[in-house]
Amino acid sequence: MDLFAATCERLAATSSRNSKIRILADYLRPLADDDLTRAVRFFSGSPLAATDHRQLSVGHSTLREAVMQVTGWDKDIIRVCHRTVGDTGETLAALLHGFARGEDLSLAAAEEHYLALQRTRKTAHKVAHLVECFTRYRPSTLKYFIKVITRGMRIGLQEKMVVDAVASATGADTDAVRAANHRAGNLAQVALAARAGTLESISARLFHPMDFMLARPLDSLFDLGDPALWAIEDKYDGIRAQLHLQAGEIRIYTRGLEDATPSYPDLSGKLWLGLPDCILDGELMAWKDGRALHFNVLQQRLARKRPSARLITDIPVVFMAYDLLYLRDDMVLHLPLEARRAALEAITQQKGYPLLLSPRHEARSLDDVEQLFRDARDRGNEGLVLKRRGSPYEMGKRSGTWYKLKRPLATLDVVITAAEQGHGKRATVLSDYTFAVREGDRFLNVGKAYSGLTDAEIRELTRLLRALVTERFSRVLLVKPEIVLEVAFDGIQKSPRHKSGYAMRFPRIVRWRRDKTATDIDTLDRVREIYEHSLGGMKPGAAAPEE
Amino acid sequence: MHVTYSPEGIYLGAIGLWLDPRRSQPAAWLSHAHFDHARGSHGTAIGTPDTLEIYALRAGEAAVAHTRMQPLPYGESIECNGARLTSLPAAHILGAAQLLVEHGNERLVYTGDIKLRPPLCGAITRVEPCHHLIMECTFGLPIFHFLSKEEATARIVRFARECFDEGDTPAFLGYALGRGQEIAHVLASHGIATTIHGAISRYFPWYQRAGYGFGDWRPYQRDEAAVTGDTPRAMVTVPSFRATLQASTRRIRIAYVSGWASMDNARARTGAEELIPYSDHGGFHELLDLVQQSGVTKVDAVHGFTDTFARILAQRGVDAHAPSAFGERGSDEEAAD
Repeated sequence: MDLFAATCERLAATSSRNSKIRILADYLRPLADDDLTRAVRFFSGSPLAATDHRQLSVGHSTLREAVMQVTGWDKDIIRVCHRTVGDTGETLAALLHGFARGEDLSLAAAEEHYLALQRTRKTAHKVAHLVECFTRYRPSTLKYFIKVITRGMRIGLQEKMVVDAVASATGADTDAVRAANHRAGNLAQVALAARAGTLESISARLFHPMDFMLARPLDSLFDLGDPALWAIEDKYDGIRAQLHLQAGEIRIYTRGLEDATPSYPDLSGKLWLGLPDCILDGELMAWKDGRALHFNVLQQRLARKRPSARLITDIPVVFMAYDLLYLRDDMVLHLPLEARRAALEAITQQKGYPLLLSPRHEARSLDDVEQLFRDARDRGNEGLVLKRRGSPYEMGKRSGTWYKLKRPLATLDVVITAAEQGHGKRATVLSDYTFAVREGDRFLNVGKAYSGLTDAEIRELTRLLRALVTERFSRVLLVKPEIVLEVAFDGIQKSPRHKSGYAMRFPRIVRWRRDKTATDIDTLDRVREIYEHSLGGMKPGAAAPEE
Repeated sequence: MHVTYSPEGIYLGAIGLWLDPRRSQPAAWLSHAHFDHARGSHGTAIGTPDTLEIYALRAGEAAVAHTRMQPLPYGESIECNGARLTSLPAAHILGAAQLLVEHGNERLVYTGDIKLRPPLCGAITRVEPCHHLIMECTFGLPIFHFLSKEEATARIVRFARECFDEGDTPAFLGYALGRGQEIAHVLASHGIATTIHGAISRYFPWYQRAGYGFGDWRPYQRDEAAVTGDTPRAMVTVPSFRATLQASTRRIRIAYVSGWASMDNARARTGAEELIPYSDHGGFHELLDLVQQSGVTKVDAVHGFTDTFARILAQRGVDAHAPSAFGERGSDEEAAD
C-alpha cells in the first residue's frame, strides 16, 4: 500500500495521459498476482472484490470519528480543515501527521483491514479498528487507504487508463484487454487473465453496467454522404438505459452506470420469463395510449427511488429498445448493425409491451431525412439518430457511426410569403408556411416549415393570412410579407429551389414574433454568414441553441 | 498594554505606535517588507535596515519622501514614548523582525510573519519570553506541516535535475520577495543555472549583501523561446506568470514552492505538477511551539485561520482571542505566503 500511495502521488503530479499509463504499468508489472488484483481494484476505488456485494459501511462520519479519537481535534476544527483541503482522505491524513508509528502497510494487510471493517457490524467497532490503523501506518499511505474507502482517488485517473496500463504491464493486446473487461466487468480478474494469456477464456457476465455507445452531433448534413448508408431512428426524449436480462430476472442501468432497477417495478417481476439472456440498449420512456408522454411527466417517476402503485398506474414506463449487446452467452458488439437488429426484433416480438422496438426508417435522399426529422418532431421526439449500416457497437465511444440530429444551428427571423393548407386535421387551416429573408427591399425565400405553432395560433394566423392573399396557385396562397416568425434550423445549404439561392435544413417554427415587422427580419447577408460559418465547422456567433 | 485592533491596523495607543498599519500613520513598526505589512507613507517608519530599504524601493520615492526612516537592527533597542522597543530576528524573509515592547512590567511581542524552522535565506527566529503575544497564524490549522530547509532544498534540486534529464525546462513559482530569492539561491548553490523574472531579481542586491549568491543567472527575456545554444536553465518566476509559461512553446514543467502547496488543490490553482510544501510561515506545530516557548499566557491571533487557532489555544488554557477586525483567513493568499 505504501508503494501504491507513492504511485498515486506520482499520477497526481502528471497531467499527461501517456505518462500516467506508463507510471501505472511500471508499478503493476512486478506485482505478484494477488497484489496485482488488489492494486487494480484499489485504483478503481473498490476496497473489496467485485463479487463481494456486501458494503464496507464506513462513511465520512465514521472516518472522522476515528480521527477525532486519535488526534483529539473536535468536529468544528476538522470541518474547517476539510473545507480548506476539499478531500476527506487528504484532510484526515494531514491531521494524522505525527500520530502514527510509521509501520509498513502491504496491499494484503490493507485488504485484511477492509475485510475486517466489513465484517464488523457496530460503528463503534469499526471506529476502533480505524483508530488502530490510523496510529500504525504512515499518513502518506493512509491518505490513499482512506480514498479507497471513500471511493474517490481524485488523481485524474480514469478506469480506461488502468485498463490500458494492465495491457502494457502484461504485454497483452490493448483491445483484447478492453474487450475482456467489457465482458467481465471485473478488471482485477481481467488483469490476471491478461498476465496468464487467457483473456479469450473470459466469458461475458451480466448484471454489471457496460459503457454506452454515444452519438455525435451532426454538424453538417453533408457529413452523412449517401443517406442510404444510414439506418434512421427517432431520437427519444427519455432516459438512456441498459436492460440486463438473465433467467427471467432483470437489472436496469442508467448512463451513470447506476443500478436503477428498484425505480421501475413495472419492468421487473415475472414479465421476462422465457426470453433468452440478453443486454438491451434503449430508452426508458413514460408511455400511454401508444405514444410517449412528455419528458416532464417521466421526471415525476425519476424523482422517486421507489414509486407508489398509483404513480406506476398514472405514469407507466416502457423500455424502447434499439440495440443488442449480449445474447444467450456471448457479447454481440462486433456483429453488424443489421444482425444485432434482427436478433433484437426477435426478442421484442416474443415479448411485446412494455418492451418496445424503436421503429427504423429508410431515407434515400436528404429530403427524406428532412421529412423524417419533421415526423419525429411531430411525434414529440427530439429528432433523429442515424446509425451507419454494417457498423459494430462501440462501447463508451462517440464515434462517427452514430449521429444525432437534435439542436438547431441557429434561428432566423423571417417573414411569411406563402401559406398552404395542411393535411388531416389541419386540412382546413393554413399550417404550412414558406418564408423569406430580406435583401434590400426584396424578400427572398429560404425555406418552408410546418411544425412548431399551437392549433390556436394556426387558426389565428389562418384568418390573418387569408386577408393578406395576393395570388393563388392551386393550394398555395401568396401573401403580403407582414407576419414574422422565428425559425430554427440545423443547417443552410446552397439551393436552386429558392430565390435566395439558399435553403434551410430542418426548419421549424420557434415562435410567432408578433413584436416584429418585415423590416426587422434577418437579411440574406446573415444567411450567407451562417452558411460560411457552417462550412468552416464553426457555429455562428448569434446561434441560439434550442435548449 | 492595551492593544486596539481596527481595519486600519494594530495600534499601541499608550505609546502611539502602529504595527504594520494598513494605511499611512504618524509612527509605524514595519515587521518586514511584504506589501500587506509595509505600505502607506508614514511619518516615522521603524524596522530593520533591509526592511526599510526594500519598503522604500517598493513604495516609491514620492511615497516615502517625508518619512523619517529609523533603522533598528536585530538585537538593538530604542526608546519610544516611555517604552523600550527591541528588534528580534524572525525567520521569514530577509530583514523580517519581531518587535519586543517593554512597557512598565509588561513584555509584549509582535511576531510579524514568522516560522521556527531555519529559513533558506535570512535570520533564525529568536523566541523571547513575554506576557502578551500578537502572532500570525496564516497556517494555523492542524493540517499544515512543512518541509525543513534541507528537505525543501533536496526537492527543488531533484525536480530541476529530473526535468533537465528529460529535456524539459523546470519552472519554479514562488512569490517575488522572499521565496523567489530562496529558490534562486538554492539552485545556484547546486550549480544549476537560472533565468530569473525581473520581479524577483530586483531584490538580489540585498540578498547578495547578506551573503547569498545567485551564481550563473540571467534575466528572463521576452523572446525566451527563441534563445538557442544556452546552457539548460531553471526558471524562477512568480505565480502570476503561469499563463505565460503555459503558452510557451517549450516543454516547461512547473513546481510550486509554497505553504499552500501542501494541499493537492494547489495543482488546479497554479497548474504545477510538483508541489513543494515549503513556507516562510510556521506550520501548525511551529506556531504551537512558539506559544509554548515564549511562556505566554495571553495571545491575540492575527492573519490567517485566526478563529480556529485561537480556539485551539483556548482549549489549551491560553487566554487567546481573534480580533474581529482581523477575520479568519487573510484575503490575499499570495501576499500571505
